[in-house]
Amino acid sequence: MLKGKKTLKVALAAIAATTLASGLLTGCSAGASAGTITYLTVQDSWTHADPQRNYTGRDIAWFGSYLNRTLTAYDRAPGAAGSAVVPDLATDTGKASNDNKTWTFTLRDGVTFEDGSAITCEDIKYGVSRTFATDVITDGPTYAIGMLDIPSAADGSSTYKGPYSTDAANDTASFDKAITCSADHKTITFNLKRSVGDFNYTTTYLSFGPVPKAKDTGDQYDLKPVSTGPYKIKSYKAKDQMVLVRNTNWKADSDPLRAKRAFPDKIVVKFGVASEVLDQTLLTDKNKTAVSLDSLQPTNLTAVFGADGKPVKKYADRAINVYDPYVTYTAVNVKKLNCLPIRQAIYYAKDFKGLITLLGGQALAGDPADGVIKPLMGLDYAKTGFASEDKDWKPEGNVDKAKTLMDQAKSECPALYARVTDPKQGLVYDAPDSPSNKNASAIWIAALARIGVTVKFNFIEAGKYYAVVLDATKQGDLSRAGWAPDWANASTVIPELFTKEGGFPMSQNWDDPAYAAFKQRVVANLSQADRKKQGAEWAALNTYAMQQMWVIPNVFSKTQEIWGSKIGGAFFWEPQGSLSFGDLYTK
Amino acid sequence: MSLLSVRDLRVEFKTPDGIVKAVAGVSFDINEGETVAIVGESGSGKSVSNLAYMGLLPASRTTITGSVILKTDEGEVDLIGMDNDRLRKIRGKDIAMIFQDPMSALHPFYTIGDQLIEAHQVHNSVDKSASRKRAIELLSLVGVANPEERLAAYPHQFSGGMRQRVMIAMALMNNPKVLIADEPTTALDVTVQAQILALLRDLQKQFKMAVILITHDLGVVAGAADRVNVMYGGRLVESTGVNELYKNPLMPYTVGLLDSIPRMDQGHGKRLRAIPGQPPSLIKLGEGCAFAARCERKSELPEGRCDVSPELNEVKAGHLVRCHLYDSKGAAK
Amino acid sequence: MNGLVTYITRRLGLTVLILLAVSFAVYVIFSLLPYDPAALTCGKSCNDPGIIAANRVRLGYDKPFWVQYWLFLSGLFVGRNFGTGAAAIFCPAPAFGYSFQQHACVTSLLGDALPVTIYLAVGALVLWLIVGVGLGIVSAKFKGKIWDTLSTAFVLVGTSLPTFLTGLMLIIFLVIKWDGSPFPSDGYTAPEEDFGQFLLSMVLPWITLAFAYAAIYTRFVRSQILEISTEDYIRTAKAKGLSDGVILGKHTLRAALAPIVTMAGLDFAGLLGGAILTEAVFNLPGMGRLSLTAVVDIDLPVIVATTIVAAAIVVVMNMILDIAYAFIDPRVRV
Repeated sequence: MLKGKKTLKVALAAIAATTLASGLLTGCSAGASAGTITYLTVQDSWTHADPQRNYTGRDIAWFGSYLNRTLTAYDRAPGAAGSAVVPDLATDTGKASNDNKTWTFTLRDGVTFEDGSAITCEDIKYGVSRTFATDVITDGPTYAIGMLDIPSAADGSSTYKGPYSTDAANDTASFDKAITCSADHKTITFNLKRSVGDFNYTTTYLSFGPVPKAKDTGDQYDLKPVSTGPYKIKSYKAKDQMVLVRNTNWKADSDPLRAKRAFPDKIVVKFGVASEVLDQTLLTDKNKTAVSLDSLQPTNLTAVFGADGKPVKKYADRAINVYDPYVTYTAVNVKKLNCLPIRQAIYYAKDFKGLITLLGGQALAGDPADGVIKPLMGLDYAKTGFASEDKDWKPEGNVDKAKTLMDQAKSECPALYARVTDPKQGLVYDAPDSPSNKNASAIWIAALARIGVTVKFNFIEAGKYYAVVLDATKQGDLSRAGWAPDWANASTVIPELFTKEGGFPMSQNWDDPAYAAFKQRVVANLSQADRKKQGAEWAALNTYAMQQMWVIPNVFSKTQEIWGSKIGGAFFWEPQGSLSFGDLYTK
Repeated sequence: MSLLSVRDLRVEFKTPDGIVKAVAGVSFDINEGETVAIVGESGSGKSVSNLAYMGLLPASRTTITGSVILKTDEGEVDLIGMDNDRLRKIRGKDIAMIFQDPMSALHPFYTIGDQLIEAHQVHNSVDKSASRKRAIELLSLVGVANPEERLAAYPHQFSGGMRQRVMIAMALMNNPKVLIADEPTTALDVTVQAQILALLRDLQKQFKMAVILITHDLGVVAGAADRVNVMYGGRLVESTGVNELYKNPLMPYTVGLLDSIPRMDQGHGKRLRAIPGQPPSLIKLGEGCAFAARCERKSELPEGRCDVSPELNEVKAGHLVRCHLYDSKGAAK
Repeated sequence: MNGLVTYITRRLGLTVLILLAVSFAVYVIFSLLPYDPAALTCGKSCNDPGIIAANRVRLGYDKPFWVQYWLFLSGLFVGRNFGTGAAAIFCPAPAFGYSFQQHACVTSLLGDALPVTIYLAVGALVLWLIVGVGLGIVSAKFKGKIWDTLSTAFVLVGTSLPTFLTGLMLIIFLVIKWDGSPFPSDGYTAPEEDFGQFLLSMVLPWITLAFAYAAIYTRFVRSQILEISTEDYIRTAKAKGLSDGVILGKHTLRAALAPIVTMAGLDFAGLLGGAILTEAVFNLPGMGRLSLTAVVDIDLPVIVATTIVAAAIVVVMNMILDIAYAFIDPRVRV
């Protein structure tokens, strides 16, 4: 609930190399082609099964492993190697030209849909076109709309409204120019409106995958997408189950990424399992080839993980506790809190220890965040010198330091000082209406009361939360938020959070005196061709944002996964923030 | 030996407030073809004494002692202490009952045919059709028109008087030797009361039954009974022939009961009077005369006399009374 | 019998009118909710006013309330198109609407969910009637004895244990912790798919649901029997010389039938609207889960439909009970 507007998507967490490595197989060898893997989830159905609507890391990892191929994909490898982009339907990871505004991919030979018909450039083009039908194909990532060279209408929306539109004014001509196909239907060219150096990361989203026009059922395609991968859907019924069987028309030699790794004969997803039943099934190892798609309930986590956060002996080889892609933080409305010492005082007065205890302790909930970039993003992360690295920072809050800063604020910005210390006014803190946030509010109120600052919580109905706080006129002084990068480049973090044009500008920091210089560096770094230099600059800008206290970071959060004792090949696939489902096999 | 001989019948109930001595030693006899009326206020034990030996009181809370000897075709049997299964075979066969409220006494969901036939079937191993014939016969006997059609009717489709006729027909299905009629006319209109009483009288002759007529109303007794037993506080207080009772009531309670009903033979001059006071609590009933508190002639007795319970004495042939006014040590007349 | 026919006809007519009123009331209530149906159909993370406005027109939410209600009603009889152009979806009659969250015509969602709930409710009903009426009889017959005490204990446990706890305990001990348990741990199997598995998958839900109800019915039947036992007509039956068995079986229970049937009918109708907790614990895709998910996701067409269907079931059940009454209680027939 604390996550950013892109809660539905999880993306890259770490990357070690930008080398666009070819599909080198790693990390698995012991698997045998047999058996059934059963996935259990408390959800009643997949959020979406339609490739153009799939947006969460876990779902992309699952569907990408078994059913839906795209032009490029993340390598299926543990650790940082997993974040490397490799070719999938394409023969390579794309060729950029025209200052990264034109990207060309060539399809492999022998790639087919589940009915055996060949996948053509036109199928991918049709698939991408569906993204534009935002009224029907809802919830999906909209990179294609943002990047393809199609004009915008007066209201900012694309002039192309997708393949279902019956409007005569629908700008199909522009779309046809933005994506072109070669005469042999094997080469697809994307013409972008701006240079995108890492467009081949974007194409790892399943929304850049093919859909056969004849089989498209609009909204209902979500119930039975046509497979291009090693499995196909035999049945899918919400609140019941999904059954995958082998796709006999899939050719291993056309799919080096998945070849030799399509282990189980059958894959079953059981929906709507009661959470306690799910937990007990895994804890007792009732179904030895079961895999949980959800986290354990907090009360059961302590049975699996010790105080050090590592799984206890009994679960040592079938559970993990790792960083997920999220950073949670308190966005500071800089427009309202235009006084650095006050922002700093809040940072020092905050009771991290109290908040993390509430979430279940540091071992399972996560570590104090020192910025908005997570250490998993190896190229972009550097210690900022804040939080644990800040000698004045204390987990329970440094009241003395905060008081000193408040004294400083009293003379520097007396009006704001008067407001935040006035018990009748004080600060307004926005948070989604949930029991855990209500508990957290008490800790915040007590922590800031220690320095004479009054906080009032504005609880907003969870479903409307981001719509409210992203409205600059409705946002309070402080707002609960969280963010995960779209892919392994902090270009999907720093500009999104801290520029006026970003997708998640909750800090409203563009009137801050420190903004102009910052913005300049961001723009420059976006077109930085040297990924290493780019990463170092993102890290520096992360520190810069921290120095301005545009956010008060909270937690580098963690996630826990558990599976049955007869499941082999499990590893955490960092770019998707989930298990690498396609590598699982039954022992 | 009389047909039914009740000796020292005692009935006690366990209640949360204490033991209720509902019937405290009642004895009487009834002969074939005879009608005995048992008269008393509610709580006098008049109904309980009869329900008790019929096994119709909740067994778990009731203690019954004494004996009730019935002359049956198989010889004399004591109904008290008889096991439920044997008693059941006597109920509705040798001794039948009719009750006060004919509406609630008939099952609302079964046709009267069902209920009549059932009463016959339970004691006779005959075809249903035979029982049905018997039901029709009896319905016409009790004066139900179109009996064959009416068999299919439900109780609610009958008037109160007709329902009681049905009840009577049901009671007579098995030619009982004894018919216990527990307030059979209380719930009925006055005109209907007379009809029912007349019917009972007729049928008694026809069936040669003994009838125990339980009532609080001495008015209905006059033409209907041969003998009257007056009960008070769980005991018989006066017992005599019906004519004698009306002419020469002895016990002040009986006198009071007679004064409380309109009488054709006493003209209009006399005002009706109610007996002052309340019936006694059967829990706290002490040693003395149960009626003492309400007795208007108490002053005629020596001090302390009423603290002793009077005995039932035969003051003249066939006239028994339980009253100090008429015993040897009483204020001799 | 002519009276009976007239009675039933009149009752049927009345039921149709009530159903119409119910559908209207539900429609009004949900149109008053502070949710924008157009915004809800544009996806979980949608806050694009352009798309919302387009959806409003496309799905007819811009039309006046009466027109919308009329479209809804006529959809029930002739089916309805949702959306326009190539992406339009036609839902055949009776069309309750289209769920953009579940990508299906609401009627087909109801068609999937209702049988599951019917199986659940029927099985549980049979079980709880057998146990509840049986124990109620035993309890009344042996009032104050050990059997009565034991059944009172059963009543206490049954009425105080929440269904989800009973269900969870059954699952954990009879399914998960029992190696070789015959009961499946993975939810529902349709009877047409595998009847044996279906029975196995339903046994524990039946027991769970029946447990709570059986306890209530035990208490109810016991008190009914005890109450009826004091009726004059039961004394008459005894005076006739009928055996205890006949008195209980024919006279007492016959009189208790009407209140038991009424209660069972209404409870059954209530269950057909969905047994949310039992369905959730045992992962049965019935009406309860359908409504629950719809409420959580604010899936308006499904909420409207499940509410109307649940209300309709209760209304129809009331009608059935009224008609059944005419057969049970001869006094009603006049």
